[in-house]
Amino acid sequence: MLAAGLLSYAGFSALCLAMERHHQEMLGRRPSPSRKVQLRVAGWALLALSLWVSVLSAGWAMGLVRWTAMLMGSAVFLVWLLPYRPRWALVLAAAGLLLGLLAAAARW
Amino acid sequence: MAWLHTWAGLVFGWLLFAIFLTGTLSYFKDEISHWAQPEVPVRAVDARASLAQAQAYLQANAGQSPRWFISLPDAREPALSVMWQDPNKSGRGAFTRHTLDPQTGQRVEARDSRGGDFFYRFHYQLQMGYPWGRWLSSLAAMVMLVTLVTGIITHKKIFKEFFTFRPGKGARSWLDGHNAIGVLVLPFHLMITYSSLVIFMTMLMPASIVSRYDGDTQAFFNEIYPGNQRLAAAGQPAPLVDLSVLYDRALQQWPGGRIGRVAVQLPGDANAQVQFSRHEGDTVSRDAGAAITFAGATGAVLELPRDSATPMVVAGTFYGLHMGLFAGPVLRWLYFFCGLGSTLLIGTGLVMWLGKRQLKHARSGVRPFELRLVEVLNVASMAGLVLAVAGFLWANRLLPATYPERAGIEVDSFFIVWLLSIVHAAVRSGSKAWIEQLGLAAIALAGLPLLSLLTTDHGLPTSIAAGDWVLAGVDLSALGCGLVLAWVVMKIRRRTALAALPIARGARTRASMPSEVH
Repeated sequence: MLAAGLLSYAGFSALCLAMERHHQEMLGRRPSPSRKVQLRVAGWALLALSLWVSVLSAGWAMGLVRWTAMLMGSAVFLVWLLPYRPRWALVLAAAGLLLGLLAAAARW
Repeated sequence: MAWLHTWAGLVFGWLLFAIFLTGTLSYFKDEISHWAQPEVPVRAVDARASLAQAQAYLQANAGQSPRWFISLPDAREPALSVMWQDPNKSGRGAFTRHTLDPQTGQRVEARDSRGGDFFYRFHYQLQMGYPWGRWLSSLAAMVMLVTLVTGIITHKKIFKEFFTFRPGKGARSWLDGHNAIGVLVLPFHLMITYSSLVIFMTMLMPASIVSRYDGDTQAFFNEIYPGNQRLAAAGQPAPLVDLSVLYDRALQQWPGGRIGRVAVQLPGDANAQVQFSRHEGDTVSRDAGAAITFAGATGAVLELPRDSATPMVVAGTFYGLHMGLFAGPVLRWLYFFCGLGSTLLIGTGLVMWLGKRQLKHARSGVRPFELRLVEVLNVASMAGLVLAVAGFLWANRLLPATYPERAGIEVDSFFIVWLLSIVHAAVRSGSKAWIEQLGLAAIALAGLPLLSLLTTDHGLPTSIAAGDWVLAGVDLSALGCGLVLAWVVMKIRRRTALAALPIARGARTRASMPSEVH
């Protein structure tokens, strides 16, 4: 459940960065068109990975429920953090990606 | 479409706020019930041993009863509860319920309280007689569904502003917050609203049952829940087999699962039947067929668990998702926060409706009666309700444990505080009413652990030392809610002080009214 949450947070952060306004907010410059596509693909891939991790660890019924809960939780957390601490949101996304992959490997 | 969202949301918003807040609290129904009856001891859960204690107790105290019901203890609800029917009566008043110590089987003289069950029942019955409360709450759910769909349609930048929240910008921030909670928690809003209609579908849309069963709806329910049918007594006495032996055999049906309820019909009669139902928290989908029935005199299997038809599985899944009984601690908190999200969605909508119109009339200087009415109802339905919840919890701790009719007085306290909040809101000006009611609620909730410590033997130090994290958790959560409310009160106070400055008011009026508020 932890892994799914961290990965979906990282995924939403990537999708958020793929939008010009938020990219500007967090990194101070506009993204190139190819960068936008890369971020979008990475974001969706991370969300899919988080679904896969969740279903793998808890089966379809519980896995889907947990994943949806984590999806909503991580998105609300990101949107709340963004205006107050945009840099933290970014650092947390990187940390979330690393820890999420580790947690997924350790089957958390 | 926007007018529908605006007006349906206003008219039903106050009721929906109450339904969603008490529903959110109901995710901790068992925990609140345990907190409300701190006398019930917490033991290591051993359902099998508890069942044997329950059987012995019922044999000794209700040997002549035609029906027994046993609710086995679990991690959330440590009490072993038994209920039986008086042999000479029928109907609701015929049942007696006792709470037993799950280890010793002795009756526990706990304080009489409805605990979390009060919020749970209010959430869909609204303290009205059957079936009116259910119909009204179902109507409210239907309106909620309409406001959700119209909200999605009128929200023009649903993807463009998916990650947008701009705090500190007055009405702009309220709309951002309303939209963000609405969109980001949308799966929960839709699930919880739609599933509430599914739960009552046989009441709301009975046409197919009525036509298929020639108006005899009971026949339909008897087919779905065969265990509820009444048996005829053989008239020959036959001792009931040891239930804990049947317990082991029942559990073989669900490896790794739990038994939630045991129902015994005609104990001591040759025709006795025992039904073991699987714990509802074992699976996401509620499965009405997850039960096994034994002959009470011989122990022979009469009926094995049945596979449900696909429509029943779909309905059971919505039911299970709504109740969230399967949720462990982390998921349960997420459920709670999602529920708060829906509640806040409704609350921010109500505040914005008023804010937008007040701003218009602020310039003209006259304030119409309707706006004042909405303001009073906003304060009483939101701040007043929180205060009423605090009042219920305080009544539980203040009334002596053996006081007669105390469960009823607790409920009365809830409604009296709520009524008083309307009076208070009508007397005080808008922002003062908000600050005073929320401030009092903050103090009351934050002070709850202290009150528990003073009036019971189960204060925080004791419950933590005993490892009773359910009891301690409710105390600590109340403290946490109190602190959050105190922070909200500070925010409102600062804003009110700011708005009193003429320059600031002018600046806000010009800068902050977004166009999408209707």
